[in-house]
Amino acid sequence: MIYAIIGLIIGIVAGIYAPGYIPKEYAAMFSGALMAGLDTAFGGLRAALEGAYDNTIFLSGFLANILLAMFFCYAGVLLGIDFYMVVILVLGMRIFQNLAIIRRLLLKK
Amino acid sequence: MIYTKHTKVLILLVCLVLGFMLAMQLKTQGRQKTIPVQRAEELSERLRSAEKDRERLTVELESLKNGTNAFDKETERLRALAGESALQGKGIRLTIEDSTIKPAIGENKNLYIIHDEDLLRVINELRAAGAEAISINGQRLTANSEVRCAGPTVVVNEVRLAAPFVISAIGNPQTMESSLKIRGGVLENFKYWGINADLEKSDQVIIPAAKRGHNFEFAKAVPKDEETGAKKAEAGEEGKSK
Repeated sequence: MIYAIIGLIIGIVAGIYAPGYIPKEYAAMFSGALMAGLDTAFGGLRAALEGAYDNTIFLSGFLANILLAMFFCYAGVLLGIDFYMVVILVLGMRIFQNLAIIRRLLLKK
Repeated sequence: MIYTKHTKVLILLVCLVLGFMLAMQLKTQGRQKTIPVQRAEELSERLRSAEKDRERLTVELESLKNGTNAFDKETERLRALAGESALQGKGIRLTIEDSTIKPAIGENKNLYIIHDEDLLRVINELRAAGAEAISINGQRLTANSEVRCAGPTVVVNEVRLAAPFVISAIGNPQTMESSLKIRGGVLENFKYWGINADLEKSDQVIIPAAKRGHNFEFAKAVPKDEETGAKKAEAGEEGKSK
């Protein structure tokens, strides 16, 4: 848990001081990827609390979710459909579900 | 739960990447307030049409300005022609006074004073010599001006004038002078009767504007398309009268 927080802090600081911005064309894709990353992180936390945590699943889930989300958003841009909305909606729902389970697990303890 | 070294490193890395992405997203959002694409397109479309309008209106304004310039010039010319504006320029000033010769007993003394006819002859001569504007004692002669006898005075523009008369005219001074002084001409005739005429050339003759305007009470403009017909009718009448 400590490592997660340390990693987050370092990442945020690095992000703030890193040069450059996300180009406007990729903003939608990036927000999708971010939601996927958050979803995976909460999923990992839930799995850890449930005792079913697996390194491989976590890492592969993280990468695959991000790539898939970005692909969806990209496809949406190509097709002219706001797919990134769908991605964000679904991932957001999953994040809430995970959070609910995490909350229950923590309360049960 | 298995916490291995790998796990710690993995979690650290994943969270690092996540934090980095989060910060980037925040930074980007803070920098550019994202306008919905549709709205932006609509706005740019409106901007484009507004710019087009502006260009068109600029051209229109330019042409209208030129138009009013020409209109103003024409108005000015017509006003000068109608005697509604004061004019100045090269010309002559002719001062005429009644005769100093005492008429012999039994002779008509009317022969020795200035009549409307004398003034008309001078005016006629000046106009023939190309005078562009004429005034008598400050009364501008317009298209409607009368020069009329009224007892011992002369009426011009409904104003009584008495000798001495000062006739000012703008035009070529040389031409006007020679046409007045021609042998057997107006001035010689005056001299015969002892009427003093003093001709003076000047570079700066000022002719005032006519003081009364005139409105048309009976006359009406003929519409352009009927004008040709009217001309034809006139020509026919003339032909008949001949």
